[in-house]
Amino acid sequence: MITFEGAAKLYPDGTVAVDDLDLTVETGQTTVFVGPSGSGKTTSLRMINRMVEPTGGAVLIDGDDIRGRDPAELRRSIGYVIQQAGLFPHRTVRDNIATVPLLLGWNRSRARARADELMELVGLEPSQAGRYPHQLSGGQQQRVGVARALAADPPILLMDEPFSAVDPVVRASLQDELLRLQADLHKTIVFVTHDIDEAVRLGDRIAVFRPGGRLAQYDTPENLLAAPRDAFVESFVGYDRGVRRLSFFPARDLSLREDVVFGDGTPVTEAAAVARGKGEPWVLVVDGDRMPLGWAAADRLDRAPAGAALGSLDLAPYGHTFDVGADSLRAALDAAVLSPAGRAVGVDSEGRVAGVVTQDDLGTALWSVAE
Amino acid sequence: MGGAWEWAVGVLDWGVANWSYPGEPDRGILPRLTEHMRLAYLSILIGLAVAVPLGLACVRWKALYPPVLTGVNVLYAVPSIALFFLMLPYTGFSDWTAVVPLALYTLVILLPNVVDGLRQVPEHVRQAAVAMGFSPLRRLVFVEMPVAVPVVIAGLRVASVATISMVSVASLVGLGGLGQLILSEGFRRQFDAPIVVGVLLTVLLAFVTDALLVLAQRGLTPWARRDDRRSGRGRRAVARASAGAAARAGSGTPAGERTTPGERQPWTS
Repeated sequence: MITFEGAAKLYPDGTVAVDDLDLTVETGQTTVFVGPSGSGKTTSLRMINRMVEPTGGAVLIDGDDIRGRDPAELRRSIGYVIQQAGLFPHRTVRDNIATVPLLLGWNRSRARARADELMELVGLEPSQAGRYPHQLSGGQQQRVGVARALAADPPILLMDEPFSAVDPVVRASLQDELLRLQADLHKTIVFVTHDIDEAVRLGDRIAVFRPGGRLAQYDTPENLLAAPRDAFVESFVGYDRGVRRLSFFPARDLSLREDVVFGDGTPVTEAAAVARGKGEPWVLVVDGDRMPLGWAAADRLDRAPAGAALGSLDLAPYGHTFDVGADSLRAALDAAVLSPAGRAVGVDSEGRVAGVVTQDDLGTALWSVAE
Repeated sequence: MGGAWEWAVGVLDWGVANWSYPGEPDRGILPRLTEHMRLAYLSILIGLAVAVPLGLACVRWKALYPPVLTGVNVLYAVPSIALFFLMLPYTGFSDWTAVVPLALYTLVILLPNVVDGLRQVPEHVRQAAVAMGFSPLRRLVFVEMPVAVPVVIAGLRVASVATISMVSVASLVGLGGLGQLILSEGFRRQFDAPIVVGVLLTVLLAFVTDALLVLAQRGLTPWARRDDRRSGRGRRAVARASAGAAARAGSGTPAGERTTPGERQPWTS
């Protein structure tokens, strides 16, 4: 547990970086500090390992004031991941990862064995152990940075905008990796970002900082999106917070319709009759394994030659699907919006069609979770 | 064509005949060559031994750098002949008469390279080292100095070529290694073979020394062979430092204070 007790950082020129911060970071959770630049989030993070000394108040780890600890020693017990990875260019990947164990006086072979173990943990190939940082991609460098921070198995991990210098695709995979690691390791993670989406994705709790170094709101991601405390937080979390909040609700409760799903061997006339009977403008065509093939519009069915099978028609692409078991309402909504039929295709984990969600049903589900 | 060939054979014959004299260790070309190497290498090593701590001090205490750099540049502007003669009353005809001025001259190249080398350590690398729990001294020895090595060696290459060439001037005060072949045996006796041999050996020595430094750099900094898209600031800094140093060594005019990128706080906690 990390406790900020009225912590403040006032620079001699009068700039207030952090103003009277009271906040408790729970053990084993990911706490995200988020805010625009100049809001004191990085300064607050760096108070935890004494890279910044508060000018007022105190920071406590498990109840002990960290001012009683030698800075270098304290830092060896706290993992740190920095924005551009900060890898040592003159050391191989393995030696970079072994940095803190070596500082702690482990012998070389033990430190290297630990480094190899961590490379596997963060998804690096063993063949990369002897490479130098400049030979790696940005994403790989950041993995090395995470491995290096974890090397001595510190209970606390500080991450200062670690993923903001990589492209969005790599960033998403690094975020997934961090979630996976954290599910196993249960570190006390303090993560700084200016990206509210990243905060919502990774955080168990989110601290929103406002310019001037003040804490605006400290809450769970769900509450933050549902009930921003004031206009600043509301504007910071974004106008589409309602939609983003849907990612906290599972899609499995949606009612799926199977009556408008037809195999590709079904005669067109049969599908047309069902569509007409139910007033459905679209039917979904699947193959023998129930893999989606595409949408057929009801008015096209009427014009199709008698006796033809659905599979012989030109079908509109089915677009994105959502995984009924694993995805959220947000993914279902996204699938519906991107579908030419305006309907979302729900699939199981194998990609087989479980059913389709119509706009009415989706709307009902969305309203039921709104407030 | 035939004349040139005979001339070249004549020079070669002279070189072979005068290479060394058994029983007279101070006579011949070989003793001049070893003297040349001794004077040049000693000057470079002493220059480096002064430039590193001086550079560290200039990075640690920023205010020190401008006056020190100016001083070193002004010193470089003093003609070497004058400095050799000024040394004579104190050091006589010992090696130091040549070595002290030559070592001082190397500073004009080595000092800025040591300072630039230390300053070009990327800020995020420095921050990471702090956060990992390196003490200030360990950070300097294990992170900042190793990262500065390529830039320092780039400076050493320029400084050693310049010094090897300048040793010859010390023949005016009775030292100077291969320069003595050129001055005493060549110009004074109106004889071209010693001049040609002296020049060729000087160039060869500079070339071999440079090659050895390149090999040393490859061995010491395998990580600096930037062969891919991420050829970051390290190589640029090396190029910039050696280009700047070469410009100064070549023209002999002292450069003004250089602008350095970024405000950094070196190894203060």
